[in-house]
Amino acid sequence: MTAVHVQYYAVLREQAGRSEERLVTAAATPAALYEELRARHGLTLARAQLRVAIDGEFADWQAPLAEGARVVFIPPVAGG
Amino acid sequence: MGAFAFSDRPLDTAAERARVEDHAAGGYASFEGWVRDFNDGRAVERLEYEAYAELAVREGERIVAEAVARFGVRHARCVHRVGELRLGELAVWVGVSAAHRGEAFAACRYIIDEVKHRVPIWKKEHYVDGDSGWVNCERCAAAGLEAGAAAPAQGHAHGQDHDHGHDHGHRHGAGDARPDRHPAGLARPDYSRQVVLPEVGAAGQDLIRRARVLVVGAGGLGVPVLSYLAGAGVGTLGIVDGDVLEPSNLHRQTLYALADAGRPKALLAAERLRALNPEVDVRAYVERADRERLPALAAGYDVLVDCSDNFATRFVVNDVAVGLGKAAVLASVYQHEGQLQVVRPGGACLRCVWPEATRDGLVGNCAEAGVLGPVPGVLGSLQALEVLKLVLGLPSAALDAVVLVDLGTLETRRIRAPRAPCCAGRDCARLPGPPAEAEAAIELDVAALEDATANDYVVVDLRDAVEVALEPAPGPHLHIPLDRLLDDPAQLDAARRYLLLCARGQRSRAAALALRRAGLSSVWSLRGGLAARRAP
Repeated sequence: MTAVHVQYYAVLREQAGRSEERLVTAAATPAALYEELRARHGLTLARAQLRVAIDGEFADWQAPLAEGARVVFIPPVAGG
Repeated sequence: MGAFAFSDRPLDTAAERARVEDHAAGGYASFEGWVRDFNDGRAVERLEYEAYAELAVREGERIVAEAVARFGVRHARCVHRVGELRLGELAVWVGVSAAHRGEAFAACRYIIDEVKHRVPIWKKEHYVDGDSGWVNCERCAAAGLEAGAAAPAQGHAHGQDHDHGHDHGHRHGAGDARPDRHPAGLARPDYSRQVVLPEVGAAGQDLIRRARVLVVGAGGLGVPVLSYLAGAGVGTLGIVDGDVLEPSNLHRQTLYALADAGRPKALLAAERLRALNPEVDVRAYVERADRERLPALAAGYDVLVDCSDNFATRFVVNDVAVGLGKAAVLASVYQHEGQLQVVRPGGACLRCVWPEATRDGLVGNCAEAGVLGPVPGVLGSLQALEVLKLVLGLPSAALDAVVLVDLGTLETRRIRAPRAPCCAGRDCARLPGPPAEAEAAIELDVAALEDATANDYVVVDLRDAVEVALEPAPGPHLHIPLDRLLDDPAQLDAARRYLLLCARGQRSRAAALALRRAGLSSVWSLRGGLAARRAP
């Protein structure tokens, strides 16, 4: 199990009802983590529509998830 | 004879020079303004100058006295022509003698700049095509006719027959290609509060003055971008926006007024920015920035700023910037959050972050999701700052990164975004974008007619001779009856922008559609025609 820190932006924050959380997960990749959170919070956006960042850098969905990682899920935003 | 004079005969520069000779002077500088063959995109054949002499001489003498006092020169003098001038003729002469060359140059420059801003002189241009028009004054007179309905930017009204008895500053003179400027008074832009910064200085201010920035979208993000860049003295500011102002815009677009509702935002913004800083060359494009049109518009600019409210346009701006090797500053907002990214040739671009072009409708825009006005205000201010950093060559944390700003928590997070390996050498401008927006609007509102010439539109009256005789079209325009235009669309120059008009806007709309199908993209129709002009 891995302890991670998760941050949500824009519509994800709205749907998750929070801007960040700490949790312990069995997920080994951000892809698996997102699917877990998607089910838990009822997130509507598909993974293909998002980017994920780990520790301040855009990351691959299949990158390994290390203990203490700071994971940020970022949807595109369009308003202006 | 005073230090400022008018002459209705050719100027004798040798005699004028003799008047400032002085054995205590070690240097002499002079400036000559000549009649040029081209102004505002039209071939000029000859000119007439007319001055309100009494006032003009008083103001001119004041300027010369200011220059003598300010720069400590020995003698200074300025002579301006009135009457009819041919191409190449000397229109204005300034001569200064001083102990040293530095003061002589500075005083000479000061005098010609101030004369152009402050002395009431009018110029009538006679064009090669037989047409003619009063530069500057014509717009005031046209506005005066509709005073109250559409308040002129300069805030005064005077008669159609050129009542020259007003004393506000008009620009004039040979070499002045920007008659759309109306400095409101005697004050001059003063950049001292930014020049004093070590990162700016006189050299930095010069870089800002030379910068050419195209802002796509004059909305919540665009308003602070445009305001700060005009204030900073960016030399050329382009505004692309095809929308008209709606009352629901005003909580975040505070450059405008409620009374402006229904008018094209690009024209409104241009008007306000010219008032904010008459030194800025402001160009308004009332149209959508699509994949076909933006490359042509962007060619004359160094930095593109995306202030649009949709993904389609954002990708177009990114792709055009990458394709043309220009920098781009991108931002977007969602409720109380924003994203900021600066794209520089060779660095990460929007597609390095979002490889799949995102479709609109996936996540909300301001209209759908709601936004507090200061949120785009903050992100737009950040964009203006990033533009200035680019222009001044300062480092930026938004390069090769996306900066996430949460104004709810006041937290900022920078996500590094290296240039994607697939990006190197790829031609983003040719990539498929998201579904195109609706075809660029083909009709312009009647307000566009008022500023048409200033905004580089050639107005074309399509009506037949009988209609024209009954009610001539206002302002400078060409008359090409509809059938003759459609017989030979090649008589229009593909590089120019045309605003077609007829009585009720139906023929002009059909003609604009036909011309666009024939390959002329820069053709618009005046909505409602001349009848719309008479409507209350």
